[in-house]
Amino acid sequence: MSLFASRGLRLGLPLRLSLQCRRRLVQQTPFDLDEGEDEKYRSLNNMYVDMFTQKNGEKASANVGEARNPVNELDEVNQEIDQLYNVGYDSVTALELENLVKSEGRFVLQSLSTDPYYNLALEDYVFRHTPINDNFSSHRLLFYKNDNCVVIGKNQTVWKEVFLNNLVHRGYEFIRRLSGGGAVVHDLGNVNYSFITSRKEFDREFFNKLIVKWLTNKYPEMALHLNSRGDITLNGDKVSGSAFKIAKGKAYHHGTMLIHSNLQNFKGLLKPDHIDGLTWSCNSVDSVRSKVTNMSLKSAQEFIDTCVAGFQNHFPLVNNMIPVYYCDQSVAINDDIQNTMSKLKSDEWKYLSGPNFRVNIDEGNHDISVQKGIIVDSTIPSTVGMSFEDFAQDFPQLL
Amino acid sequence: MFSRTLLRTINPLRISVRAQSSNALSKAALPFTYSPSGPSAVKYTTQHEWLAAHADGTAFLGITKYASDALGDATYVELPEKETQLEAGEAYGSVESVKSASEVYQPVAGEIIEANDKLESQPQLINSDPLGEGWIARIKIAEPDSLETQEGLLTLEQYERSLKEDE
Repeated sequence: MSLFASRGLRLGLPLRLSLQCRRRLVQQTPFDLDEGEDEKYRSLNNMYVDMFTQKNGEKASANVGEARNPVNELDEVNQEIDQLYNVGYDSVTALELENLVKSEGRFVLQSLSTDPYYNLALEDYVFRHTPINDNFSSHRLLFYKNDNCVVIGKNQTVWKEVFLNNLVHRGYEFIRRLSGGGAVVHDLGNVNYSFITSRKEFDREFFNKLIVKWLTNKYPEMALHLNSRGDITLNGDKVSGSAFKIAKGKAYHHGTMLIHSNLQNFKGLLKPDHIDGLTWSCNSVDSVRSKVTNMSLKSAQEFIDTCVAGFQNHFPLVNNMIPVYYCDQSVAINDDIQNTMSKLKSDEWKYLSGPNFRVNIDEGNHDISVQKGIIVDSTIPSTVGMSFEDFAQDFPQLL
Repeated sequence: MFSRTLLRTINPLRISVRAQSSNALSKAALPFTYSPSGPSAVKYTTQHEWLAAHADGTAFLGITKYASDALGDATYVELPEKETQLEAGEAYGSVESVKSASEVYQPVAGEIIEANDKLESQPQLINSDPLGEGWIARIKIAEPDSLETQEGLLTLEQYERSLKEDE
């Protein structure tokens, strides 16, 4: 969510502008995703409000009409924003986030943002700054949902994995993440979890085994299993994909969980193993194509709540429970997070630093060798030195 | 491909062989044979990296047998670029195995002068011979004389002992 949302209006923007802002805001807020066209979201919204309404109820009364007695329209806007953003979440400030992350201790963090760059940068920030020592006691569990995007592993070749043109036309952002593994599609019907632990304790199957246990305890009728690759399946179809990162004595396991994703829309985003007319020679990491399905849960929050309860039980505290915090992008942000976001958004990271590869294009029998995104050898001499990203624009079959 | 299949079918055997193997440098491969008399020093870190220093002030870097066993079959090795200057503790590359990207760090400050290009097409060398053919990079050590005094560098015995303590 942009900065002006919480601050700008208070600084006294011209009235007309502030009203436009309000309209945009309402459309952007996670509580009103699609103007009520879809029952799923409405019930989700209501659930959020119910769940996080403070006992005295005043602040979270989402009905603007009831509380209306504004001095002027600007006050009204500010009031509405208060209601939208302060519905009882224990949302952390930048300083609180920093202290939390850098201090020892376990916690759960749920991002309120749906910006994939922010969420991946936040995850990296928490991971990098989690303290490590011999008696590791700083396990962290993160949850976030991303707007439409396709995410590939850091050691994959984008042109081999993704129909870039289709992504652009259909409004999916292309992301290269910091962990390993294969390509996945995210939308708001998918929730991402991330479990941070020490390298010493790290075990690829550990957290997915727990998820399966927690969900099976709660929903015994669900046929949930781990397959040979450690992925969670429902009736044999994949509902969750995993990737891992190990660095500085720590490790994280992050995964997707399909709850009510629009799976029809996923078609034509990820490339199949083979496309006629193109032959790739590369050592990059291949994606394993799998049939996917949604979990039959009412909402993403239902999944999150089950995991949070399981996590709290798994790591019991004497007098208390592992705390749950929320991150609002407009507040819980710092230079570290912003720098990682810029890196993830840069062409340098997305297109100019992946594995080396060679591709043969049948049409015209072109042979192109690429190192760090730049053509170093080519049957079309004039293309040597060109970025493959630019070159591909003239060969639609590569996009 | 054949060797990979073979390895899979004899998996239990492989594990027992690995459990007995040490984290000592392979005597038959370049990190050892680069100098006729072998390396002047071999050091380890608690992050499971090794360094084999030679008389000319350069050193080979890689990950230990313990680390490569823990990672599983390597599928891709991200190699450093030549002439990169790095401080001790900075990441100079990564090894991907079974969907995990694992960063590797410089035990000491120095400049990358060579990367093991063989790993591009044969990442499995990280598993079959991590302390030999599976070396990742060669660096020019910034302060070759301070190897013995630098904090955080372990001898093979100290490294093996730290592994036992972790168990």
